Amino acid sequence: MRVAIAEDSVLLRDGVARLLGDAGFDVVAKCGTAAELMLKVNSFPPDVVVLDIRLPPTYNDEGLRAALEIRERHPSVGVLVLSQYVELGLALQLISESADSVGYLLKDRITDTDDFLGAVRRVADGGSALDPQIVSTLLSKKRPDDPLAQLTPREREVLELMATGSSNQGIADELVITLRAVEKYVSTIFTKLGLPSTRSESRRVLAVLMFLRS
Amino acid sequence: MTIAEAAREANRYSARAPAPAVVCAIALAGFAAAGTTFALALNSDHVDEPGLQAALMTWITLPYVLAGLVAWCRRPESRFGPLMVVAGFTMFLSTLAWANAPLPYTIGQAFDLLPAIVFLHVFLAFPTGRLGTTFERALVGLGYFVAFGLEIVGMLLGGYGPDNLLEVVSEPGAAATLLDVQLIAISALCLIGVGVRLARRRRAGRPLRRSIALVVDAFALGLVMIAWLFVTGAFDGPGFETLRRATFFVIGLAPAAFLAGVLSARLARSAVADLLVELRAAPDPGELRDALARALRDPTLQLAFWLPQYASWADADGRPMALPADGDGLATTVIERDGQAIAALVHDAALQDEPQLLDAVSAAAGIALENARLHAELAARLDELRGSRVRVMEAGQQERKRLERNLHDGAQQRLVALSLELTMLKKRLDADPEASSRIEHARSEIALSLQELRDIARGLHPAVVSGHGLAVALESLAARAPVPIRLNVDLQDRLPEQLEVAAYYLVSESIANIGKHAHASSASVDVSRNDGQVVIEVVDDGVGGADTEAGSGLRGLADRVEALDGRLRVWTPSGRGTRVRAEIPCA
Repeated sequence: MRVAIAEDSVLLRDGVARLLGDAGFDVVAKCGTAAELMLKVNSFPPDVVVLDIRLPPTYNDEGLRAALEIRERHPSVGVLVLSQYVELGLALQLISESADSVGYLLKDRITDTDDFLGAVRRVADGGSALDPQIVSTLLSKKRPDDPLAQLTPREREVLELMATGSSNQGIADELVITLRAVEKYVSTIFTKLGLPSTRSESRRVLAVLMFLRS
Repeated sequence: MTIAEAAREANRYSARAPAPAVVCAIALAGFAAAGTTFALALNSDHVDEPGLQAALMTWITLPYVLAGLVAWCRRPESRFGPLMVVAGFTMFLSTLAWANAPLPYTIGQAFDLLPAIVFLHVFLAFPTGRLGTTFERALVGLGYFVAFGLEIVGMLLGGYGPDNLLEVVSEPGAAATLLDVQLIAISALCLIGVGVRLARRRRAGRPLRRSIALVVDAFALGLVMIAWLFVTGAFDGPGFETLRRATFFVIGLAPAAFLAGVLSARLARSAVADLLVELRAAPDPGELRDALARALRDPTLQLAFWLPQYASWADADGRPMALPADGDGLATTVIERDGQAIAALVHDAALQDEPQLLDAVSAAAGIALENARLHAELAARLDELRGSRVRVMEAGQQERKRLERNLHDGAQQRLVALSLELTMLKKRLDADPEASSRIEHARSEIALSLQELRDIARGLHPAVVSGHGLAVALESLAARAPVPIRLNVDLQDRLPEQLEVAAYYLVSESIANIGKHAHASSASVDVSRNDGQVVIEVVDDGVGGADTEAGSGLRGLADRVEALDGRLRVWTPSGRGTRVRAEIPCA
């Protein structure tokens, strides 16, 4: 699996490259700027790109713009955006049309290496990875007549994991329950929230997020 | 204009007027000249219709002498008054040619053409009494030579009758030809003079005051008629005598117009009384200018105020301004109190002909002008203060932004890299559970540090605002709010960073206040931009009655908003919610 990295801190760039290399990824590019990354991606698209949202020269939105551009021009390339802060507004921009092949994680998550590698693989395979902090922000959002109040605590847990992009298998592993049980929970949640059910895991991420946002 | 120049200007007005005895003597001489004119005409053996001729001559002589005296007393520093007096007596001298005796006849004949050039001189020198350009001086000088010098030459050649005492040779043909040349030359000079004056008026680009324009027009008409008259004389054209009488009549109109102008200036002083009444109502500085403009009848009037601590002139709002140089039809009068300049009137240069009006208006408006000056000074200081507040806030914000950037690029990145390093190290130490657990402990410490650093960085500067704009940044604020928030951000483009940051803090603080005090069930945040301003409004349905002063953080927000020239208002009626509204100008 080919991966390109864009991160301006050399220390971190090398660390992530080593981590991904050790895990069997083929690190095809290590870039310090968004422009360099775009050059590499345009000439030889990798399977997935891991990039920092703040990149030189202005450290404003270069990383985000690169991510959006890759998503538009190379839909097959997974894009995992890392940031020292996660913002709901940016998450919504990244997945405004589709949650396919996209991830947005707090940079700290790299250090939970197994979760991080799982997220990179998921994004490379067309899935999504959304930072739990964003999901919890959305879940804690105050709503009049909160529809989430109908959910049992266990259903809430499943919803939260579902929103981060976890697969049914991932949820089953995390909560130590059977795959069938997960499928049952998912179907109940969709019914309770009045959402049309879908088999695509990334599409249900989008549906859940849009529901939670409103 | 510097203070020294202003003082000189003031001195100019106090130049000494002629002594009353001198004025009386000149006036008497004028009347005596008029009497002599009549006596000469009535006793002359070579004047037709002597009564009419004498009346026409006196119509010119006396008004010029008297108007000249009035002008001299009004503006002693100007040569215009004496010049008019001289013009009057020159006219009288030319009437000596009516005398039957050879000597006065000769003198009168020598002065025969001179009045035309004296009128030209007066015309070009009006109203200052000085010829402004070398060209004008050359024109008038040449005129004197033609009208007087060549006249003497002509008389030397003979041809002015047996009483001509100057006759040396008898060449009447040559003398007549010379006279024709003189007449045509003087006609040309008069027309050129009128042209110069009209060009000057056109260049000034704006109409002179009406009374002055009237005098100039009367003079110009007189000179044109002289030119016509002389050309008619040179070519023996028709209707010479009628034309001559009409010309004399018109020449006499100029001093009449001048005296009318003086009278109208006297009337204008009643405007000062109106001004005093208006000033009693303590007008705003803007209205003060209008009132002064009305009293001075100068709609172009500008006021400038002297701000000593800035060593600068300023307008009524304290903005620095430069006084225009005199010329181009503008003049400046500095008004002083206790030897200290307080204000300057920038006015139509023609007003200098009415120094009493200027003085009266300045005196009447003294206190109002001093008040307006203080107002301008206050405005200048406020402006300065506002500027320094913006700079302080800007510098603070830039510094916090820099610190946030340093944290992000330095400590935060290093800690993440360090934690990653530890994780990878831990994988190699699987066999040693104790080492593993200590590494895990270190990692969780790093995670806590990272969280703290993130909070500090966010507190220093909301990087998401600078990086991605207000709409994105407000999304999380609204989602994390303690009550349901209806968020509506209606912005097409990014706003200036200062404004975005101020708006972010405003919403953030307002939402925090809602959580702490409002007991609200819902709230709304609206951001919109129209009519050159950005409006940020946070409304809740809580208990209202918020403390807008102490501890609410609203004071700091107001500072931020006001530093951007904006306005923050808070409505918080008890029991009816709280509305925080900021309006910040944004071009």
